[in-house]
Amino acid sequence: MQQHPLVAILTRLGMFVLVMIALSIMIFILARVVPGDPARMALGPAANQEQVEALRQQMGLDRPLPVQYLDYAGKALSGDLGMSLVSQRPVTTDLAQTVPATVELVLVSVIFMFAVAIPLGVVTAHYRNRTFDYVGRFLSLTGVTIPSFLFAITMQLVAARYLTDWPIIGRLDHGLAWQGGPTGFLLVDGTLAGRFDVVLNALKHLALPAFALSMAGIGQITRITRSSMLENQRKDHVLTLKSFGVPERVIIFRYLLKLSSIAPLTIMGLEFASLIGNAFVIEMIFAWGGFASYGLTSILQKDLNAVTAVVLVAGLFFIIANLIVDVVISIIDPRLRRKEER
Amino acid sequence: MADMKMLDASDRGLSSGYMMWYRFSRNPAAVIGSLILLSIVILAVFAPWLTPYPKHVGAVVDFRARHLPPDASHWFGTDKAGRDIFSRTVFGLRVSLLLVIGVLGISVPVGTVLGLIAGYFGGWVEKLITGLTNVMLAMPPLVMALAVSNLLEPTLINAMIAITLLWWTWHARLIYSVSKSIAAEDYIEAARLAGAGPIHILFREILPNCMAVISVKTTLDAAFVILFGATLSFLGFGVKPPTPDLGSMVADGRQFMPDFWWEVLCPGAMVFYVTLGFNLLGDGLRDMFDVEN
Amino acid sequence: MDEPLLSVDKLNVSFATYGRSRQVLRDVSFEVAAGERVALIGETGSGKSVTAKAIIGTLPNNAAISSGTIRFAGQDILALSKPDREALKGTAFSLIMQDPLSSFNPVFKIGTHLDDVMRFADKRNGISSSKAERRTRIAAVLRRVQLADGERVMDAYPSELSGGMRQRVLIGLALLHQPKLLIADEPGTALDVTTQDEILNLINTLVSQENMALLMITHNLGVVRKVADRVVVMHHGDIVETGACADILSNPKAAYTQALLEAVPPLYGPRVITLPQSDRAPIVTIRGLNKIYGKRPGFHAIRDVDLTLREGEIFGLAGESGSGKTSVARIIMELSRATSGTVAIDAPAPGRGRRLTQIVYQNPGTSLNPKRTVKQTLSLPLTSIGMGSDAREARMTELLDLVRLPQSYLAKYPHELSGGQKQRVAIARALAAEPKILILDEPTAALDVSVQKTVIELLVQLRQDLGLTYLMISHDLSLMRNFCSRIAVMLRGEIVEEGATPEVFADPKHPYTRALIAAIPVVTDAEEQLKPVVTEEERTRFLVKTTA
Repeated sequence: MQQHPLVAILTRLGMFVLVMIALSIMIFILARVVPGDPARMALGPAANQEQVEALRQQMGLDRPLPVQYLDYAGKALSGDLGMSLVSQRPVTTDLAQTVPATVELVLVSVIFMFAVAIPLGVVTAHYRNRTFDYVGRFLSLTGVTIPSFLFAITMQLVAARYLTDWPIIGRLDHGLAWQGGPTGFLLVDGTLAGRFDVVLNALKHLALPAFALSMAGIGQITRITRSSMLENQRKDHVLTLKSFGVPERVIIFRYLLKLSSIAPLTIMGLEFASLIGNAFVIEMIFAWGGFASYGLTSILQKDLNAVTAVVLVAGLFFIIANLIVDVVISIIDPRLRRKEER
Repeated sequence: MADMKMLDASDRGLSSGYMMWYRFSRNPAAVIGSLILLSIVILAVFAPWLTPYPKHVGAVVDFRARHLPPDASHWFGTDKAGRDIFSRTVFGLRVSLLLVIGVLGISVPVGTVLGLIAGYFGGWVEKLITGLTNVMLAMPPLVMALAVSNLLEPTLINAMIAITLLWWTWHARLIYSVSKSIAAEDYIEAARLAGAGPIHILFREILPNCMAVISVKTTLDAAFVILFGATLSFLGFGVKPPTPDLGSMVADGRQFMPDFWWEVLCPGAMVFYVTLGFNLLGDGLRDMFDVEN
Repeated sequence: MDEPLLSVDKLNVSFATYGRSRQVLRDVSFEVAAGERVALIGETGSGKSVTAKAIIGTLPNNAAISSGTIRFAGQDILALSKPDREALKGTAFSLIMQDPLSSFNPVFKIGTHLDDVMRFADKRNGISSSKAERRTRIAAVLRRVQLADGERVMDAYPSELSGGMRQRVLIGLALLHQPKLLIADEPGTALDVTTQDEILNLINTLVSQENMALLMITHNLGVVRKVADRVVVMHHGDIVETGACADILSNPKAAYTQALLEAVPPLYGPRVITLPQSDRAPIVTIRGLNKIYGKRPGFHAIRDVDLTLREGEIFGLAGESGSGKTSVARIIMELSRATSGTVAIDAPAPGRGRRLTQIVYQNPGTSLNPKRTVKQTLSLPLTSIGMGSDAREARMTELLDLVRLPQSYLAKYPHELSGGQKQRVAIARALAAEPKILILDEPTAALDVSVQKTVIELLVQLRQDLGLTYLMISHDLSLMRNFCSRIAVMLRGEIVEEGATPEVFADPKHPYTRALIAAIPVVTDAEEQLKPVVTEEERTRFLVKTTA
């Protein structure tokens, strides 16, 4: 009954493909059926009926919905997500320009999130019901209770008043001569090109939005880490090590930390959805010009091809993030590896 | 006889009501959280009588009183139309609470029932429901809510529909895992052997054992829904002006930052106050019921 | 001997729960001399584990030592500073943990646990050691607990070893640094009888080889006889009796000890109860039963089982975990379907909502819904057979009388009941709709021995009064000797022996049956003498391997 690990991974990938297909069908139906006539919307109220009909035919809207979907899916697979009605360019071109900015912001936030939250969770659990714990818990509580837009606005304001040189909008100063690089990630491209002024400048721009974006996650992950640590502290195996005199710091930072990182990682995977959602707000406030800003504009303009693509890409982010989380957890937990083999 | 002696020697002599009350009273988070929520409910319900300027909820304009900083008569200052921000935030609470009741009132029962069914019956029903929740979870809630409510029409009702459409999945997912583990307990099989039908088992045997988890999750979710609603209205997908709404008040005040800071911070602080109340109570309940994550 | 190795003097410990302080140890005093084997025996709530925890220093946070001293080699360890006390762990005394699965962190290899324990004990003793050198030393210790393939064990994760192997590793953990005192908390209790027997033998061998003292915490009087020179009997936080093992077991002074000994079902001798054989018609006939779980090749849980239960008898199906005994019962109850073979129950078809068979589960803690009162639990089967509310009330009164619980218990929730009381409610529920056959799935395994006695007496009475047929599933052969009229022994899905209980015990034919009986810890030397003899070759052929 042994199953090759590769089979397990392929099965999981298959699951994700199914989720993507189901997601695309849902958003397709939503975008085509709910809002009424996309052709009318594209042309505006001034156009006459014939013009609308012509565009309907051109867009293929007169054909049955399943056919439209298959047509869309086929084109999407070959990298054609249709034209954006607003920018009048292929949606894929728009995405290629905006996605790296968002990915860079999100990745930096996630790294920051873990760097702050895991130690904070461990330490608050260790100092349970002491001053440090109360302070840490209050901080993590504010992280999850303050709306991220309020946090972002306030930080922007404080920076504008007290750190007058600090950039509060955009990804890079306009003054910098920078043509862009192959990946679209400023930190990577800047390093590759040896332009450390660009890297530094980009980091300065990243700091505030990344901090604002990670606040909610920091709160959440600190709390989960803390309660997971406390829960595992009650387990028998802690008693085993304690009764043989293994020092507490080793039990905490070696044994408990690894075991207790499973819960926050799982939560991180799920939280990714709300992280992307918050990116919409943060990008708007900091004029980030990423994929989330693009999404917000296209939703406001009812740019259907763009909206569909944005939802699909957001779903893809979520799925990839969870795939990574799954792999990491199965590396941590041997019981999961064994379960898969069965 | 040994049985009877053991009874005296343990905690069994204590009633469950006493144990709950003891845990509650020893739990500062739960106590403070409940007090905050109590104050909010009172403010929201009796807003017309408790606020100094209930008329300022409407399209009142008083240019002489524009952008007044907080003072004794305007605790939170006034906005660009000279309206009392305190009165408006209190009325804004009503919108937030309605949103919570609307969203959770539908999504919690729906998610609970689907989760119970998936966990107890297993088989293709389980595959179908978990598959559906997996797809729904892959959609970033805020993006979906924005898309749906804008494609329909950006109103509070539509936002509520959009949030509800997504929110049930989180409950279904949680209740599914709880009910699946409860369904494997001996007492469920014993109930089946005693002739109980599926309805009895789902709602009389399994559901009562899920109530602790449901109450914790619902309380914490109330805070998320409020944040979510505030974010939506901050982005312009909320109630129609002039009805006050905490998120859109922050958005309105943003253009007057930093000079008239109270126009952003006061409604923002109110959002914080409400979500803090729900979070404290939720955390406290979690400790009281000893619910794992 | 001038100074005892361990001396506990007037120890008082209390727990604070729900704002109330509850004393769990009252003036507990006893001594363990160097090289001596002492057993601390008691039932649930006796305070035996608390005593062990107080000695090791792992009491929970809500516990407080209000007075008393614990001296180890003359040194008051409660007065020691924290690091000094830490230094004693693993070197002066060592603990053998009880539950072998949860005693290891699931995401670390066995070897990591062992290495860390050795590394820090070395450090405290001022020894510097390299990882490779420690690995060799650990492998040597593992060999002493009969785990020859130490490398494989060290590289395994806890979930990859069997329960018996993990228990051996836990013993090895305690031996890493030549402690003078070994404290064992119910070792092997969670394991099969035969494995538990091997573990006890191993501990005995090690204790005598290394000349260590042993403090054995247990609830089992048979275990006491096997491993102890002296016994300390505890009851509700008090020490009721102390004395040499042979004296206590043959001539107990305290009434509690007498009752405790009385409650242990004997394996051989005059106290054994022999039930008459039933000569009535067969009620359950099983022919050619097979059960295969999963797809090809699948797990063959039951192989060609033939069984006949006669009306009115108590039939015992014995076997260790994984023997397939529970699968047979589930098929009889129609809770699972046989892969092949037939089960015929010869009784008139029951009415609406009724069943011919009902079950009493092993663990009363999980077989009653914690959120439902006794009344709600009992009224469910009555409602399904269509009883009106007056009839239900009457029948519930009757049922509580049957299982000898006061009527006021109808309003109670399971957490307000003790284990024995819960099991009585579970029996009442099973009897509510008047089944013909009652399946007893280890009905007393989770109960203390004195409670077990009362529950068994109740079951015997009920069978007489109601004319029921019982199928008892159990691994506890001494209990089955006194409770079952016929018995069958299962091994890896097959029935290897079947017959009238007295005959099977007097002259077990199959070596596995002999091994099972021989492994039971008994209370008297007379019983030990009467046990069947098992050769080493038979042992290795039929018992689960717990060595590596």
